[in-house]
Amino acid sequence: MARFLVRRILGSAATLLGVLVAVFLLLSAAPGDPARLATGGAPGRRAASSEALEAFRAVHGLDRPLPARLATWLGAAARLDLGRSFRDGRPVTRRIAETLPATLTVNGLALLLAAGLAVPLGVWGARHPGGTADRVSGLLLDALFSLPSFALGLLLLLLFSVQLRWTPVFADPSLGLRGIALPALTLALVALAPIARVTRRAVGEALSSPSALSGRARGERPREETMRALRRAAPAFTGLCAALVPQLVAGSVLVERVFGLPGTGQLLADSVFSRDLPMVLGLTLVSGVAVVVSTLAADAAAAVADPRIVDGEGT
Amino acid sequence: MKRPLAALALFLAACAGPVGKDQDRVLHRRLEGEPQTLNALISTSDPENVVIALLQRNLLDYDEKLNLVPGLAESVDADESRLVYTVTLREGVRWEDGTPVTSDDVKATLEALVDPNTPALYRRSFFADLDKVEIVDARRARVTFRKAYAAQRDAFNLPLLPARLYRGTDVATNPANRRPLATGPFRLASWEGGTIRLVRNTQYFGDPPAFEQVVLRVVPESSSAFQGLVTGALDESRLNAVQRVEAAKDASLREVRYDEIAYTYLAWNNRLPQFSDARVRRALTMLIDREAIARSLYGGLARPANGPLPPGLWPYDPTLPPLPHDPAKAATLLDESGWKIGRDGIRTRAGVALSFTLSYGSASDRQRQIIELAQRSFREAGVAMALAPLEWGAFVEKVDAGDYEACSLSLNLDPNPDLRPNWHSSQVPPSGMNHAFYRNPRADALMDELAATFDRDRAKPLYAELQRIIAEDQPFSFLHTVSVAWGVRTRVENVKSSPVGLWLFWPGAAGWQPARAAKPI
Repeated sequence: MARFLVRRILGSAATLLGVLVAVFLLLSAAPGDPARLATGGAPGRRAASSEALEAFRAVHGLDRPLPARLATWLGAAARLDLGRSFRDGRPVTRRIAETLPATLTVNGLALLLAAGLAVPLGVWGARHPGGTADRVSGLLLDALFSLPSFALGLLLLLLFSVQLRWTPVFADPSLGLRGIALPALTLALVALAPIARVTRRAVGEALSSPSALSGRARGERPREETMRALRRAAPAFTGLCAALVPQLVAGSVLVERVFGLPGTGQLLADSVFSRDLPMVLGLTLVSGVAVVVSTLAADAAAAVADPRIVDGEGT
Repeated sequence: MKRPLAALALFLAACAGPVGKDQDRVLHRRLEGEPQTLNALISTSDPENVVIALLQRNLLDYDEKLNLVPGLAESVDADESRLVYTVTLREGVRWEDGTPVTSDDVKATLEALVDPNTPALYRRSFFADLDKVEIVDARRARVTFRKAYAAQRDAFNLPLLPARLYRGTDVATNPANRRPLATGPFRLASWEGGTIRLVRNTQYFGDPPAFEQVVLRVVPESSSAFQGLVTGALDESRLNAVQRVEAAKDASLREVRYDEIAYTYLAWNNRLPQFSDARVRRALTMLIDREAIARSLYGGLARPANGPLPPGLWPYDPTLPPLPHDPAKAATLLDESGWKIGRDGIRTRAGVALSFTLSYGSASDRQRQIIELAQRSFREAGVAMALAPLEWGAFVEKVDAGDYEACSLSLNLDPNPDLRPNWHSSQVPPSGMNHAFYRNPRADALMDELAATFDRDRAKPLYAELQRIIAEDQPFSFLHTVSVAWGVRTRVENVKSSPVGLWLFWPGAAGWQPARAAKPI
């Protein structure tokens, strides 16, 4: 087991390193001079003096060759120093620390909500397959899944903030649950379909397995039967949750824009457009670590539940 | 099936509650993006300027007609030579911590401004010819320039930095950029999580503002901001065409407009054989139905531009007619200039086809529609225009380098404009911003003369001639001057507009009042 985990961790670290190098090279190769953008350049406007541009480049090391810059960044990142933002000169770690709590809270709440709604729906569908309710809910979930989160967010905003006036128009974590309900709900609704479908299939399989039949023969009550089926489906869930993390990260970018939530999603979008390389790398690292850790956790959980996974992997 | 729905209802019910009742004395404003700095010297974005306009007075401020009026300085006077300006601060002007604003702050601010390491891109250009700054006494500083320049006094539309926090520091990364000391009607109370809260500055020398607090929210998305405006979470937000129609039906909103001192244009790279003849450039402008575009795509909030100055600026010549929409005349002009229609329907001259690529950066829907309409009109006249959308950063780089054939852009002008950076033949890329590569000796001479003409009555006819020459040459196809519509909640009164918008003049948003307090006490 330990050996399995070490291999997985090493593999993940290599993937993460590859992603960071790719982002670094892509953003450095992309047209658009960060020095000009950071100093507010626009065609036809009074330009920053060349001294100011050179000073900016010197401060941020942009005058050095790419491999040297990459090596410096990686070395510093290993010491958890992610450098300073091109735009306001503040440490990247501080900017991330300021925005991360809001994004984490919203995403955590979204996952809870999604699981809380989708698992019962999936179970219900598995127990009554092919019924009208099963088909209707399937259609509805597919519709939610295929709606862009941006549009879905706006619809929810119109309904709950403008018509019903239950929630504030703009997300505000300081208001507690009410302040972040809509962004969380938007992300949750998009994630409903995959969770419900996995639940429905896994529980359906478990219910039709021989052990379920024998359970029923023993006179097991439907509730106990369902719980057992759910336990058997656990590996599928953990895998799914890991798969949802990148989806939530991407969704955050749009949802935070709609609800004016000052989170890491917005920070990432702003940073990409202004070629704020240290910021983009820092955020890539953080979201990359989140994806890697959740995947690892899922693998480990799956391995615990089903030791054959480790055996298959080993030697 | 019922349980999940019940859970959803429970969740939303748990969230429900009265949306916080606004206090009358709090003004809720929108920021279209997150400010990076509140240092007025190095600010570059609109959101930054929205906040700074409430925090800082300038030495001289513009009023709503763009006249310079006293601000932190009671006067800024030039001597006979127009080289030496004496800045006299008002008596009793203080920073928010109670310490006096002195001539040393003026000196330190100007020194920081001309320091090449300070990214004060916009403001430094006004002090390019600064020679020295001397302290006369605590309230007076003498500022000497190496050259006399007609619009030099406008450079004193300048905020101050406190000398004791900035002298000898790196201005770009000074921590005071996020915790500025105010000299204006409000001071910063907090800035966190995309929300900036301002409260009255008790040390402010002028009358206290009518609102006690201003809360500014970062709301990048226009449709969300509009919902905020409708529900009262915001008191103001820019309106697009669709939102204007909606806002007109809402009794709690009113529309405030201003004519931007800006124009949109299609730039032609005059060095290329396709664009080297002014008749071709005039023909291209005459092929575009700018009146129809103003009606249909701008909802009437635009008019055809007549030349390089927009209305609202003092030297603007209203008697200069914009080129008409006249495809027949345009065809004649193209024929006369030697571009004849070939077998494929495209005009050619001496083996060169009248075809080119127009680049644009991160265009709005409207800009794209205008470009496509122009493309269709051009095609009918035998002119082939290909389109190349580019990412903004990449686009900026190409245009600045002069490495493009045609491009679509807009230009914002200064309240007291200098046309040299964009039109003088000495200012071509890569070092300058005359990206049309426009060259006209008479225009050059007029611009040079205007830079040294201090009397506006004498300058006006020179400006009129200059506008006529540039309009005749059409180095760009000047498209539209545009009005901007803002939605403001009726609970806010005394909202005035100027060519620089609703707040980049004095008193701007500092003069807004809650409806109940609108009448003078």
